[in-house]
Amino acid sequence: MIQTNEISPPKWPVKFLRFFIKKEYLEEIEGDMEEVFQDNVERLSLSKARRMYTLEMLKLLRPVLIKNVNGFQRINEYSMFKNYFKTSFRSLMKNPMSSFINVFGLSVAIGICLLVYTFLEYDRSIDKFHEHKNEVYLATFYADRDGTVQRYGTSPRPLGEMLKQDFDQIKKTCRVEDRSVVLKQGDNVFHEQVRYADAEFLEMFTFPLKWGSASSLSDLNSIILSEDMSVKYFGSENPVGRDMLMICDDQTKKTFTVTGVAATFPKARAIEFNFLINYNNVRVADPQYDVNDWKEFLNATLIQVDNPSELKAIAQGMEKYTTLQNEVQHDWAISSFAFEPLSTLYEHSYNIKNCISQDYNVEGRIGMPIIAIFMLALACFNYINIAIVSAAKRLKEIGVRKVIGANRAKVIVQFLTENIVVTGFALVVGLILGVLIFIPWFVQFTAWPLEANLLDGNLWIFLLALMLFTGIASGIYPAFYISKFEAIRIFKGSLEFGKKNPLTKVFLGIQLILACITISAGVVFTQNNSYQRNRSWGYNQREALYINVPDQSAFEKMKVVMAQDPDVVSLSGSMDHLGRSVSTAIVHMPPNHHYEVNQLSVDANYFETMGLELIKGRGFKEHSESDKQAVVVNELLAQNLNLTEPIGHQFEIDSIKYEVIGVLKEFHNESFFNKVQPTIFKVAEEKDYRFLSMRVKSGYEAKTYAVLQSKWTKLYPEIPFQGGHQEDVWSGYFASLDKSVAFNRIIAIVAVMLASLGLYGLVTLNVAGRVKEFSIRKTLGARLHNIATIIMKQYILLTAIALLIGAPISYMFTQAYLNMLFSYSMPLGFSGIIISMLILIFVLLAVISTQIRKVSKSNPVEGLKAE
Amino acid sequence: MKKTKLGEFEELVLLTVAALQQEAYGVEIKRELEERLKERLSVGSIQSALKRMEEKGFLTSEFGEATLKRGGKRKRIYATTSYAHKVLSEMKEIRSGLWNSIPTTAGTMTPELKVI
Repeated sequence: MIQTNEISPPKWPVKFLRFFIKKEYLEEIEGDMEEVFQDNVERLSLSKARRMYTLEMLKLLRPVLIKNVNGFQRINEYSMFKNYFKTSFRSLMKNPMSSFINVFGLSVAIGICLLVYTFLEYDRSIDKFHEHKNEVYLATFYADRDGTVQRYGTSPRPLGEMLKQDFDQIKKTCRVEDRSVVLKQGDNVFHEQVRYADAEFLEMFTFPLKWGSASSLSDLNSIILSEDMSVKYFGSENPVGRDMLMICDDQTKKTFTVTGVAATFPKARAIEFNFLINYNNVRVADPQYDVNDWKEFLNATLIQVDNPSELKAIAQGMEKYTTLQNEVQHDWAISSFAFEPLSTLYEHSYNIKNCISQDYNVEGRIGMPIIAIFMLALACFNYINIAIVSAAKRLKEIGVRKVIGANRAKVIVQFLTENIVVTGFALVVGLILGVLIFIPWFVQFTAWPLEANLLDGNLWIFLLALMLFTGIASGIYPAFYISKFEAIRIFKGSLEFGKKNPLTKVFLGIQLILACITISAGVVFTQNNSYQRNRSWGYNQREALYINVPDQSAFEKMKVVMAQDPDVVSLSGSMDHLGRSVSTAIVHMPPNHHYEVNQLSVDANYFETMGLELIKGRGFKEHSESDKQAVVVNELLAQNLNLTEPIGHQFEIDSIKYEVIGVLKEFHNESFFNKVQPTIFKVAEEKDYRFLSMRVKSGYEAKTYAVLQSKWTKLYPEIPFQGGHQEDVWSGYFASLDKSVAFNRIIAIVAVMLASLGLYGLVTLNVAGRVKEFSIRKTLGARLHNIATIIMKQYILLTAIALLIGAPISYMFTQAYLNMLFSYSMPLGFSGIIISMLILIFVLLAVISTQIRKVSKSNPVEGLKAE
Repeated sequence: MKKTKLGEFEELVLLTVAALQQEAYGVEIKRELEERLKERLSVGSIQSALKRMEEKGFLTSEFGEATLKRGGKRKRIYATTSYAHKVLSEMKEIRSGLWNSIPTTAGTMTPELKVI
C-alpha cells in the first residue's frame, strides 16, 4: 500500500472542498474523493491524478452538495436579482446628478484604461508579425567604452559574409545600410532615406508585396517601394516597371526600375523601409565603399537559422571575429559579439545603441499605467463617497429589506450588484468615449498608431475584469458600511448618518491629493516649456542659417553666391553641423585610455558664424597647416578627462596626434532631452564640406533665407533645397514639448474635473441632508456668511490637510517626472506647486459656493415643508 | 410530500444501490455504474444523485467503516427504502407494459425505440 502521507491530493482543492461542501456530507465525500484519487494514482501519474482531483472537485460544485449560504438557497434568486436591477435603475434615476457623476467619472476612467490597454497591447505586439521572428537574429557587439560596457546594433562590414561562409547552420544573412539620397521621378524630387539590403531582407522580414516580386531585390537595377512612397511618387497607380532616378551628387546618378510595392505595413512595427535597393548599390553611391573593411561598420547584419537552438554553437564560434576585429581596430576594441532574436529585439533595443529597431515608448510604458490607475482611483473614490452619503436616502429601503428577511450578506450582494450594474453602464459609455474620443485624440498627439481592436478577445476579458474589479473595489466598502445598520435603529431614526464618517473624509482627502499631483504636473510642465524655450543653447542660433550641400562644387558655388549678399555677416563651411550632423571619434590617451567623443569637422569661421564662445585658448586659423593637428574641445571633455590645463594637452585619434588649442563654453549640440556629450572640433578638409552656414544681420533672417532658397533652386533645379534656420533644427523637440504640455494639462483637467465632481456630489448631498437645519437657521436670522461658514467649516480642515500632504508629494512627483523626461529640466521652485494649490482651492471654492448660493436663495418655508 | 419523480440517471443509481447491498457506498456505486455504462462518471454526479434521492425518501444511509485508502474517512452505506422498491417496480411494470404493446413488426422497424 502506498503511504498516504507521501502521495496526497493537492492541497488547495482539498481546502476548497472542505470550505464549500455541506458539513454533514463532508466526511463521506472527502473520503470518496480520496479513494478515487488513490485509485487514479495507481493507474496514472501523480500529477495527472492531482489534476483529475481538482477537476472532480470542481464538478462537486452542485447546489445539492454545497453549503447553503445563509439558508437562502431556496428563495427564487432570479426574481431577487431582477428586483435588484429594478431598484438599481430606480435609485439611479432618482438622483440623476450623483448618478451622472458616478457614471461619468467611471466612464472617463474606463475610457482611459481602454486607451492604456490599447497602448500596451500595441507596444507588446511591435514587430511580432514577422513569421521568422524566432529564427532571425541581429548581430550586435559589446564594447567597453571608458569603463562602461555598451551594446551596439551595428556590425563590421565583412561580418555577414564571413558568417555565411563559416557556419553551416546559418541559412541566410542580410546586410543593411541606410543612406540618404535624392530620388527623382518626373516632377517629384525629394531627399529620401534609402535602405540598401541583401536580397534576403524580404525573406527574413514578413513584408508581403502588393505589386511586383520580392525576388527582384537581387537585381541591381530594382527598387522596391513602401506603399506610402508609392503613393507619394506615383499616386494610386501601379508603378511597377516605371523608372526612378537616384541622385547622389552632381556626377553620380543611377536609374532604377520599380519592381515591387509593399503592402500596407502592420501598424505595430519598429523596423520598416521606404525604399529598398540591392546592397551592392552602396558602391554606386560611394565608390570608395569597401565591403571587406573591418574598420568600417554598417547599420545592421541579420542572420537566419533553422532552429533557434543552433544559435548557441554559433555564439561560441564568434570569438575569432572578436580577435580579427580588434587586430584591425585598436581604438574600437570590442569585447564580444552577441545575437538578439527579432522577437525580443524591440524590447531590448533601448539598451542597444545604433540599433535598426528603435524604442520610443519607454516613458509611455511607465507613465500610462500610472495615469490609468490615478484616474481609476479618483473615479472609485468619487463613487465610494457618493454611495456612502446617498445611502442616507435609502436607509428606509434597507430597513424594509432587513425586516422582511434580508440579512447582511443579502444587502451586500444587493449593493454590489447595483454597483456592477452602474459600472457596466459606465463601461459602455467608457468604451464609446475611449474609442471615439480618447484614442483618436491620443493618436493625434503622439502619432502612435493606436487602434482599439474590438474583435480582440483579450480586450473583452480585460474590460470584463476591469468592470468586476472597479465594481467591487468601489462598491465593497459602501456595501459593508450600509449593510451594517440594524433595522430597528433605522426606523427609530436614531442614526447619525454620513456626516461623521471619517473614511469619507479620508477618501476625499486622497482625491484632493491626486488632483493636486496632476495639476502640479500640468502647471510645472507649462512652466518648464517656457523655460526650455528660453534656455540658452550655448550659441547664437537665432541669426544663423544653414544649407546642406551634396558635394564640394555645390558648396563653392553657393558660397560665392551668398558671399555677395550684403545681409550675410559671415560664412562658414563644415563637414558636420550643430544639431544636424555629428560624427563620433575615439580619443586615445596614453597609456591605455579610450574615450568616445562627438566630433565636428569645421573651418576657421565656424565658431564665429555660429556664435560659439571660447573660454580658453584660440580657435582655428585660416589656411594654417599646423591647425590640422589641432582640436578645440568643449568644457565637459576637459572636465571629464581631468585636464587642469587643457591647452597644449595632446591625445591621439586614429593614431594621429592632436593638440588642444581651445576650450569652448558649454553648448547644446542636441536638444535638451539629451545630455551634453564630450565634443571635439577639428579642421575639415575642403573636399568634405557638406554644410554652408551663415550669420545674417539681425532681422534679415527670413529675407536671407528666401534668397538662399531661390539661389539654390536656380543652381540645382534637380536637387531639392535642404537647409533652414538654425533655430528650427530643434523644431521636433519643441513640438514634442508642446505635446507633452498639452497632454499633461488635459490629464490635469480631467483629474480636477473628477475630483470636483466628487466634491460637488458630496457637498450637494450633505447640504440636501441638512435642508431643515439650514431653513431653521435662516428663519432665526442666519445670514449668508453664517451659513457659508457652517458649510465651509467641514471642508476647510480637510482641504488644508490634503494640501499639506499633497504639496510635498506633488513636488517629488513632478521632480521625478521632469528628470525622467529631460536631461536639462527647469530647476523646480515652489511657484509651480503654489500655483496649482491656488487653482485647486479656487475650484473647490467655486464648487462649494454653488451650494451656498442654492441654500441662500431657497425659501426656508419650502425647506421646512419638505417630507 | 416530496416529489416522486425519478430521473433516468437517478433510477440507474438507485438500482445500483439495490444491487450492491452492503457494498453500496459512493465510490463503489461509481465503479459499478462506470463498468456497466462504459463511461466515466464524476464523484459529484453520483453524490448529488444520492443526496437528492435521500431527500426524496428513496434511500437511507448510515456510516460504515473507515479505511486508510480513504484517508481515515468513513464510508456512507446506502440502502433502498421500501418506497423505492415500490416506485422501481412500478416503473418496471410501466415499461414492460409499453414494450408489450409494441407490435412485433414495429420493433424491427424502429430500432431507435429499443434504446428507450
